[in-house]
Amino acid sequence: MTAASANAGWHAVPRRKLIPARWRNPIGLVGAAIVSLCILTAVLGRFIWTNDPNDPISNRLEAPSWAHPFGTDDLGRDTLARIIHGSQVSLEVGLVAISIALVVGTLIGLLAGYFGGFLDLALMRIIDILFAFPGLVLAIVIAGLLGASRRNAMLAIGVIIIPAFARVVRAAVLEVMGFPFIESARALGGGHLRIMLRHVLPNVIAPLIVLTTLYFSTAILTEAALSFLGLGTQPPEAAWGNMLQTARSYIDQSIWMSIFPGLAIMVVVLGFNFLGDGLRDVLDPRVGGGVGDVATKK
Amino acid sequence: MPRFLLNRLISMFATVFAVSIVVFLMVRFLPGNVVDVQFGGDATATPGARLEAAKRLGLDGSYAHQYWVWISRIFHGDLGKSLLTQRSIAEIFGSALPVTIELIVLGLAIAVSVAIPLGVISAVRRNSASDYASRVGGLIGLSIPNFWLATLLLIFFSRVFHWVPPLQYVSLFKHPWENLQEFFMPAVAISVFTLAIVMRMVRATMLEVLNLDYVRTARAKGVPRWRVLRKHALRNALIPVVTVVGFEVGVLIGGAAIVEIIFGLPGVGFTLLNAISNRDYPVIQNATLLIATVFVVANTLVDLIYGWLDPRISVT
Repeated sequence: MTAASANAGWHAVPRRKLIPARWRNPIGLVGAAIVSLCILTAVLGRFIWTNDPNDPISNRLEAPSWAHPFGTDDLGRDTLARIIHGSQVSLEVGLVAISIALVVGTLIGLLAGYFGGFLDLALMRIIDILFAFPGLVLAIVIAGLLGASRRNAMLAIGVIIIPAFARVVRAAVLEVMGFPFIESARALGGGHLRIMLRHVLPNVIAPLIVLTTLYFSTAILTEAALSFLGLGTQPPEAAWGNMLQTARSYIDQSIWMSIFPGLAIMVVVLGFNFLGDGLRDVLDPRVGGGVGDVATKK
Repeated sequence: MPRFLLNRLISMFATVFAVSIVVFLMVRFLPGNVVDVQFGGDATATPGARLEAAKRLGLDGSYAHQYWVWISRIFHGDLGKSLLTQRSIAEIFGSALPVTIELIVLGLAIAVSVAIPLGVISAVRRNSASDYASRVGGLIGLSIPNFWLATLLLIFFSRVFHWVPPLQYVSLFKHPWENLQEFFMPAVAISVFTLAIVMRMVRATMLEVLNLDYVRTARAKGVPRWRVLRKHALRNALIPVVTVVGFEVGVLIGGAAIVEIIFGLPGVGFTLLNAISNRDYPVIQNATLLIATVFVVANTLVDLIYGWLDPRISVT
C-alpha cells in the first residue's frame, strides 16, 4: 500500500461518519438551502429580474401583482428589484464585518491563548471592556460618530463582533495547548509562528466555522437596524433596513412596503441560524447556546 | 461571600472606569473636531471665541485635564448642557432613564415568564410536536428583527382592532393605564429575541438536569411528577439561565433604543440617537457612559444573584 492510499483511508473514516450525521439534521439542511438561495439571489437575481431598483417604473404604493410581485414603493419603484439589491447589500455587509471580526478576533484570541501571561491578561481586559457595551448601542455610537454610511456601519458591526471571536478562539487555543503534540512540536524545534499556524490554528477551525455562520445573522440584523435608524446604507440605495424605515410613513396606505423587506431579513437570518445550529451539531457540540449568547458561556 | 461581593464590586468599578476612558477617547479620536462643528465651518470665528467654546465643552487643555474635568463634574452631578437645547444633561437623563428602565423591565418580564414554561414543556416532552414547534419558534424568534415586529404589531392592532397606542408619552405614576397601553407593543417587540434565548437555555439545562441522579431518586421515592419538576429540576435548571439574563439586558437596551424611536418614547436610546444626528457631543458622551454603566451594573447584579443561588461558584 502506498502512503497516499493509506492517507486517503485514514481520512475516509471520519468523513463516512460525518455525512449521515449531517443528513440526519433537517434544520441544518433547510438552513443550507435558504443560505444558498440567498447567495444565488444576490449574485444572479438582477439578471433574472431585470427591473432597475432605483427606477420609478410604475404607480406608487401598488399591491403585489404579476408585474410587481412584491408591489411598488412610495416612488413607484419595484420592491422585488429593491429586495434583490438589498440581498447584495446584506451579504456584502455580512462578509466584510465577519472578515474584520474573524481576522482581528482570531489574532487576539490566538495570541492571548498561546502566549498567556501578561499578554493574555491585557488583551482579555480590552475584550472585557468591549463587552461592557451593549452591542447595538456600541455599533450605533461608532457608526454615528464616524458618519452615516455603509462602510462605517460595516466597520462598527465588525468591531462589536470581535470580542465573541476572541473569546471563543482563546478558549479553544487553551484547550489545544494542553495536548502533547504541541509539546512535541516545540521539542522538535518548531518556532512560535510555525506552531501557531500549523498546529494550533487548524484545531480551532471547527468552532470558527460555527461562529462565523451564527454571527453572519447578527451582522445582517445589525446592519438592518443601523440602516433602519439612518446610520447604515443611505437612500436612495436600497437596503432592507432603510426600506422598512421608509415604509413606516406609509403604513396607512400600503402594508406591503412594510411586509416584504422584513420578511427578507427574517428568512435570511433564519437560514444562517438554522445552518449554524446544524453545523454546530456536526462540527462542534461544545459551543453551546444560540446566536448572541455563544460568547456568554463561561 | 463578603469577599466575593467585594471582588465583584471592585471589578465593576474598574470596568466602569475603563469604559469611561474608552468613551472619552472615542468622542475625541473619531473624525470631526467638535469645536469646528460648533461653528458650522464658520471661518470668521475668532480664536478667542473658539477657546471659549472649547472651555465650555470641556475641550481645553490636555486630555488628562479634560478627562479629570469631565469625571469630577460628573461626581458633582454636573453632566454639562445639551448643545442643541441648552437643557441640563442630568435633567434630560432624569426623565429619559425611567422610560428605558420600564421598557427593559417589562421586556424582560414578558420574555422570562413566557420562556420558562415553554422551555420546560419542550424539555419534558422531548422530540414531541410541541418540542419541535417551540424549537423552531425559538429560532424564528432569534431571526425576527425587533423593529419589523414592532411595525407588524402596529399594523395588526390598527387594522384588526382599530386600536393605536397613545402617541404622547405619559408617566407610569401619573397615568398607569395609558402608560401600560403605550409600553405594551414596544415591550413585546424587544422581548422576543430574549424570550427565544432564554427558552432555548431553559430547555437545554432542563434536559441536562432531568437526567441527573437526584431527579431519578426523587421520582423513585414517589415524589409527584409535577413537584419533581418544579422543586427539584427547574430550580437547578434556572441557575445558568440567570447568566444569560445578564447578557440579555444589553440586547434589550439595544432593542429599546430602536423601538423608542418607533413609538416616540423619550428614553435614553431616543436621546442618544437624537444627539448623534445633531452631533450633540456632550449628550453622546454621557449617554454612552450611562448606558454602559447600566449594563455593567446589571451584569454585576446578575453575578451576585448567581453566586447567591449557587454557592459553589462564589470562590472565584
